[in-house]
Amino acid sequence: MIGVHDLAKQYHVGDHVVHALKGVSMAIAAAEFVTIVGPSGSGKSTFMHILGCLDRPTTGRYLLNGRDVSTLPPDELARVRNETIGFVFQGFNLLARTSALENVELPLLYTRQGVVKASERRERAMRALEAVGLTDRADHHPNQLSGGQQQRVAIARALVTQPSLLLADEPTGNLDSTTSHEVMEIFARLSSVRGLTVVVITHERDIAAYGTRTVDFKDGLIVSDKANDARVPAQVG
Amino acid sequence: MKNFRRHPVVDTAIKALSRNRLQTVLTMLGIAVGVATVLAMMAVGAGAQRSIEQQVRAAGLNQITIRAGNWRPKVTDSDEAVAHQGDARESLRHPLDRLNDDVLPITFHPEDDPMEKHDHPTARQRLGDLEAGLGSAATMTFDDAEALRQLPGVQYVAGGIHENVRVHLDAKRWFTRMHGTDVMMPSIKRAWAFSSGRFFTAREQERGAQVVVLGQVVADKLFGPGATPVGRDVALWNQQFEVIGVVTSATWVVQPAAGDDQFDAVYMPYTTTQRLLNLSKLNDITVTAESSGDISRLSREITKLLRVRHGIGDNEADDFTLITQATKALTTGGLPPSVARAVASNVAELEKVTLEQLAMTMERASRTMTWLLAAVAAVSLLVGGIGIMNITLLSVTERTREIGLRMAVGARGKDVMRQFLFEAVVISAAGGLAGIVVGMIASIGIARLLQWATVVSPWSVALAFGIATAVGVFFGWYPARRASKLDPIVALRRD
Repeated sequence: MIGVHDLAKQYHVGDHVVHALKGVSMAIAAAEFVTIVGPSGSGKSTFMHILGCLDRPTTGRYLLNGRDVSTLPPDELARVRNETIGFVFQGFNLLARTSALENVELPLLYTRQGVVKASERRERAMRALEAVGLTDRADHHPNQLSGGQQQRVAIARALVTQPSLLLADEPTGNLDSTTSHEVMEIFARLSSVRGLTVVVITHERDIAAYGTRTVDFKDGLIVSDKANDARVPAQVG
Repeated sequence: MKNFRRHPVVDTAIKALSRNRLQTVLTMLGIAVGVATVLAMMAVGAGAQRSIEQQVRAAGLNQITIRAGNWRPKVTDSDEAVAHQGDARESLRHPLDRLNDDVLPITFHPEDDPMEKHDHPTARQRLGDLEAGLGSAATMTFDDAEALRQLPGVQYVAGGIHENVRVHLDAKRWFTRMHGTDVMMPSIKRAWAFSSGRFFTAREQERGAQVVVLGQVVADKLFGPGATPVGRDVALWNQQFEVIGVVTSATWVVQPAAGDDQFDAVYMPYTTTQRLLNLSKLNDITVTAESSGDISRLSREITKLLRVRHGIGDNEADDFTLITQATKALTTGGLPPSVARAVASNVAELEKVTLEQLAMTMERASRTMTWLLAAVAAVSLLVGGIGIMNITLLSVTERTREIGLRMAVGARGKDVMRQFLFEAVVISAAGGLAGIVVGMIASIGIARLLQWATVVSPWSVALAFGIATAVGVFFGWYPARRASKLDPIVALRRD
């Protein structure tokens, strides 16, 4: 599914160069549920951006479904993001004054075939909302939804184009622990039941434990990469 | 429309614009002012153009009168005629010398002779068929008038018969001019107004009805000022005529006065005159040109046509005389006839020169006005455009996260650019529409207030709208491009 080889990324901040990634190599198989942990500035976010085709590595290769996407032009990257990747963000990033359904429809406005027909958009968005159990909230606006519900809408939006890779950057960062676990359950289910490859960044160990494998980042390098034997059960409270 | 509204780009634009409703409306207002000014500017410009035309027509500058008979010596016809005759010596002579050969001034007409006695109308009947020929007055026919009507560029044609008559009302009588004319005359005489009644109709002309329209002077002299002569009978040539209207001047420039040719006069269908006086010819034919600048060409066409119709050979003189308003102005403007004729015969296409001078003066005035408005329009469109740029930049800043999100889910740079460009154009187009409405009202206002005719043409409305849209595209371009160049990662992190 994913293969990265000696991935490096440098930023220029003023006069000095920041080495965000210093040569990262790893492979992620299809349907794997990987959690990435590490302190801030460890390069995990940069790694996630490159995985999500939002950014390109300075050096190194990134193979996504066997295709080298590290050198694609911006419009091609946009296409990959639209068709292959689903994003979930810490801050949900839902459009205000726009119904949950319309929020979920958003990626369907940018498909390679142009804007998907309204009726089909609606149908596909409803199916995605069904997958996160929110069909009864389809007409609600974000400000009428709880944080957990908002994040579930965001997950539905990430699913609507039926991507093979789901990336989440601190998806539980703005949620209380109960809803955090609910959301993580959804990711786990999507991975195990639907066979989606899921990569979640977090800095909470108990959240990281949901993954079948946890990768530790520090100073732009992977410091540990181990499989989790058993799932941590959902902790209530 | 429902489908259009459902289009995501439109939907997003509406949502985005309603987010900063006040700013959006204010920006639209700026564009509206600009567009309204553009429209008013064009309306004033076009109106000035039209009023020039109207003034020119009211002045009769688009009129050609073809008088039966040729009272001018051939040599002064025009330089062209002289050249045509191929007489080298003749054309080499100084035009003022040539004048000495003249027998009669242009203005001469037997009917204008003050020494003539007008005792008996039929005694003056010199229009008879037997008198046809060069220098005579009976060469124009109704068929000539019909033939002239077919010439391209001709607006109206009216044949006329003119006599001096005595109009009787019981014991009172008034000596005046009688014009047997065509129903088209009020259209030709644009400066006419009917103080009561109407002109005769085509139907009345057809059957040669004994109806008469009095000039204001005649009406006042016979009936007294303020009286209503319409419906009363007057007598001409011992025949009863019903008064159907009283005509007076529509402008303060020309005041009806005893002895003038227009309002100290009576009008009747030329058919009536022909019937009662047993005539078959016309004294003259008045032709108006659709375009006043067309007089010279039309004059040549008329001459050509009439020469053919009258069977005049190449070396023979015309048996008619063309009079345009410009030559008339010269010959009746207090100039000695010889001087007037020197000018007339030496300035080619004289009437055109005069027209162009008049038009130029008026155009200069309207151009000043147009430039002034153009400056106002340019400034307000610039300010409006900057407003659009400002609000679009504001929108891009406010919605940076949204842009990042859209990019993350697959929007390309050009998708983002299209969205913001569309929003800018929506503002400017909506402002443009409002401006068109305001501009139209303003045009009417200007027309009322300044007595300046304004014309709003569909073309100018389309142009104004086009300009508004173009302003939106132009000033929306930079913010939209900036949005499209955003880095999605940076954009998503923005608060």
